[in-house]
Amino acid sequence: MVIRMDNYQPVLNDVFHALADPTRRAVLRQLNRGPASITELAKPFDMALPSFMKHIAVLEHSDLIRSRKKGRVRTCTLKPRKLARAERWLAEQRVLWEGRTDRLAQYAESRASKEAKP
Amino acid sequence: MTEDPGLDLTISRIIKAPRPIVWEAWTDPGQMEEWWCPKPWRAEVRAFDLRPGGAFDTLMHGPDGEENPNPGSFLEVVPMERIVFTTALTEGWRPAAPWLSMTAIVTMKDHGDGTGYSAVVKHADRETRDRHEELGFYDGWNANIEQLAAIVEKRA
Repeated sequence: MVIRMDNYQPVLNDVFHALADPTRRAVLRQLNRGPASITELAKPFDMALPSFMKHIAVLEHSDLIRSRKKGRVRTCTLKPRKLARAERWLAEQRVLWEGRTDRLAQYAESRASKEAKP
Repeated sequence: MTEDPGLDLTISRIIKAPRPIVWEAWTDPGQMEEWWCPKPWRAEVRAFDLRPGGAFDTLMHGPDGEENPNPGSFLEVVPMERIVFTTALTEGWRPAAPWLSMTAIVTMKDHGDGTGYSAVVKHADRETRDRHEELGFYDGWNANIEQLAAIVEKRA
């Protein structure tokens, strides 16, 4: 599997961030059953509406959902293309471990050079 | 050691630092927190009992207050050479059912320029399907969501 890391990473960071929260994951699961209004989506959560709207904004920003306002009702829809792109979970694990290994190398190398020049 | 290209990853680096420094960066929780997760995320090492069956748990803190625990345990520890850990078992070999079941094999060897480092990360093949069934999902998109969620919750 060949991945252009430089292109892939920013997309994944957004998606990771969006999916890192249980409320946002629950919203995606709900939307997977079909479009839903903000009111319907917020119902299961014991959360003030402004806080809930922040979660919706994160999902929209990461391009996982879109929302449209019609009259007084804002309806959210899943954007499957982004998810399809992110489907390659193994590729994402690779990105995570490559990054982790790079950071370890950087950290150890900077410590080694400090020890060499006390 | 058999590797399945569809399920396993091998990451190798030559780290320009002596092996004891790399080993310490990995095995001192305070140092591990410096490199374990990508910014703006922050790692908190909650358990690090470096012996077979000893607890290993890193909690990832996200920029919006998200928290992702990753309880697991060490399977094998050879000082300066090899660390094997898994999320499929927690402290004292207790079986677990994590979002992303994985085993990682980390090895360090002397190299002319410093340390030859590699991490082999193995994943289970049934977890996606099992997770799918457990949550009662009925179409393919959910698998994607769960896989992604698993990655974040596992963080590795």
